[in-house]
Amino acid sequence: MTQKSWMYSVFEAVQYEMQQDPAMTWIFELTPPVASNPGLPVINLETEFGRKRVVNTGIDENWMVSAVLGAGLAGSKAATYIPYQGALMPFQVIQNVAGKLRHKTGGIAELPVVWVIEMTGQTPGFGQQHSCYEEDSYYMHIPGVRTVIPSTPYDAKGLMHAALRSSDPVVYLYPAGLRTLTEEVPDEPYEVPLDKAAIRQEGSDLTIVSSGAGMPGVLDAVETLTGEGMSVEVIDLRILKEMDTETIVNSVAKTKRLLTVDQSYYTLAPGAEVVARAAENVEGARFKRVAFPDAPPPASPEMFTWMRLSAEGIAGAARDLV
Amino acid sequence: MTHDLESSRRARDADAPSSESRRGFLKLAALTGAMVSTTGTRALADGDIGFFAKDLSDEKLTGMYRTILRIRWHERTQADEMLTNPDYRGYNHFYAGQEAVATGVCAALRNGGPFDQIDMVYSSHRPSGHAIAKGVDIPKMVAEMDFRSTGMNGGYGAGMHISDPTVGFIGADGMIGPAPVIASGSAFSFRARGSDQVAVVFAGDGNYAAPHFHSTLNNSKLLDLPLIYVCENNLYHQYAHYSYSCPHKDIAEAAAAYGIPTEIVDGQDVVQVYNAAKEAVDRARAGGGPTFIEAKTYRDYNHWGAPGAKAGELGAFGYDPLAITSFRPEREVRAWMQRDPVDIARKILIDWGVLDDAGATTIEEEVKAEIAAAFEWGLSQPLCTPEDGLKHVFATGTVPARQFG
Repeated sequence: MTQKSWMYSVFEAVQYEMQQDPAMTWIFELTPPVASNPGLPVINLETEFGRKRVVNTGIDENWMVSAVLGAGLAGSKAATYIPYQGALMPFQVIQNVAGKLRHKTGGIAELPVVWVIEMTGQTPGFGQQHSCYEEDSYYMHIPGVRTVIPSTPYDAKGLMHAALRSSDPVVYLYPAGLRTLTEEVPDEPYEVPLDKAAIRQEGSDLTIVSSGAGMPGVLDAVETLTGEGMSVEVIDLRILKEMDTETIVNSVAKTKRLLTVDQSYYTLAPGAEVVARAAENVEGARFKRVAFPDAPPPASPEMFTWMRLSAEGIAGAARDLV
Repeated sequence: MTHDLESSRRARDADAPSSESRRGFLKLAALTGAMVSTTGTRALADGDIGFFAKDLSDEKLTGMYRTILRIRWHERTQADEMLTNPDYRGYNHFYAGQEAVATGVCAALRNGGPFDQIDMVYSSHRPSGHAIAKGVDIPKMVAEMDFRSTGMNGGYGAGMHISDPTVGFIGADGMIGPAPVIASGSAFSFRARGSDQVAVVFAGDGNYAAPHFHSTLNNSKLLDLPLIYVCENNLYHQYAHYSYSCPHKDIAEAAAAYGIPTEIVDGQDVVQVYNAAKEAVDRARAGGGPTFIEAKTYRDYNHWGAPGAKAGELGAFGYDPLAITSFRPEREVRAWMQRDPVDIARKILIDWGVLDDAGATTIEEEVKAEIAAAFEWGLSQPLCTPEDGLKHVFATGTVPARQFG
């Protein structure tokens, strides 16, 4: 076990799967598939596997996403990394082709493909177009596509192994603001299941549900709240599709109070689905949602930092609920 | 005007230098002052030799030189702010090195007057040169890029989203792909309402690979739209050489395949760029449809910001962590910087007797002072009010805050 960064953990999984399967391919634009980590060898997929399997292409996310799909249909495990600029450009291929393929072929189509889709916009000043505050909602809405959103390097590696080994297409959301996280990550391959949320802390007064880039703020807020004597249960969704309803319902049945936190627009943020599932299954619970307002993230840091999630805002909403 | 692909090939074969090397081509083009055209649509017997700069007034030529200098000193000043001023928060994708392209094209456009007569420019994530050439208020642009509430877009947009329709600068677009297609929609409206306006889109070599590039050219030709596609081929999209995304040495070859007249120009020479743009504008206004101009050029800084640059010095030769493993060869950067668009414009104007050396220096000093004043004003403007982030989502009203539950 070594302290590993997020991206190193991810590429460790990809490298292993590519070593196991000589047919597997990786397509990227602009961002070379290279990761380094103190005390460990540099991973460079391009030099290790060559340019037939690892392709640097033009700025054409439509091709990247479609090519991966076609490679999968031809029997090759395939993955691509869509950087922040283009995360919704290939939406139609994922929504109207990939998500429907298995169903419309009566279960015949096999889709061993992974689209790594970067979510950016946590840095003040990026402005509207380089801010991804909607992709989780959009992709989790699609039937037939598994959508995951890890929030730790450990989960990032385990979910990548699971995604690459799954015969279903997987949208693997990567909250870029978490790239500075490091933690102990095993060297050997392991899977994190594609259908289980994680309980990060157990508690009895309140359930907080979040995911991806929302998690660090939640954990900070919970530290404060715990210090104030509140017993908070923290659920990290990890999987948006198919969402782990059981873990949510069991928790809210216990606490009777649910706060959802999303670094995503308020309308139809993942928390909206969480609240709906809890409300359907738990009598007499109270709910609250914290999210980004329904406004494009402005460039001005003054506006942006006021509008985005903060540990103080999350803690305030929690106190209102308990 | 119809386009004859066969004659275009012949014209290109006749005009093109024999050297296969890009730099060889540029050197030859620079020596001869020739504009290499890949199409043969001009009626040479009309006495129209395509060297439209011959008709420009001294005042206009001096103005073009001033514009080049404004862009250059805006970029250099902003780069120095990024490098030296810890309180400065703005950023840019710097245009230095490419000034002659924006200047030469916009000099051929209608940049003032009523909104329904003005020519429209669509820009990219590298917008400040296009904005200045189109005539935006530089102090307000400086304020915008540092997120000030009195900036040209109220601090909402900043570097990648500046816009001022009053001068026909529809604006920057931070994405690779959509801008050219949208520009063709403006051209479509001009044709539909019988206006002689033209739409111009500036896009880099990286745009070639996007499906939008091909949709733009196809529909512009099908509908004979008054669109001028200016492809600024600075050889790199972000950190990747364009050979990773385009099989052609000249991207213009792709446009010719759509039946669109194409011009390949030395983008370091404002006169060549102007000549090509003037012909394209004349064609578009006369109902002759789109033109594709490929300007061979280069940027002095890296893709984003000023990594690898030193304050007070032009160009970036040092380490850029954002490049990860793809770096531009330092000698390539230096070789291109030897053909500096500022120096070339200055030399032309002095050669032509438009300016003398002292006059050119005076203009540069005036521009430096103007840009320094723009930064002084821009960086002293008030910051934004946080709650204003909830405005301008719709034409009226504000949206609710949701971040506090």
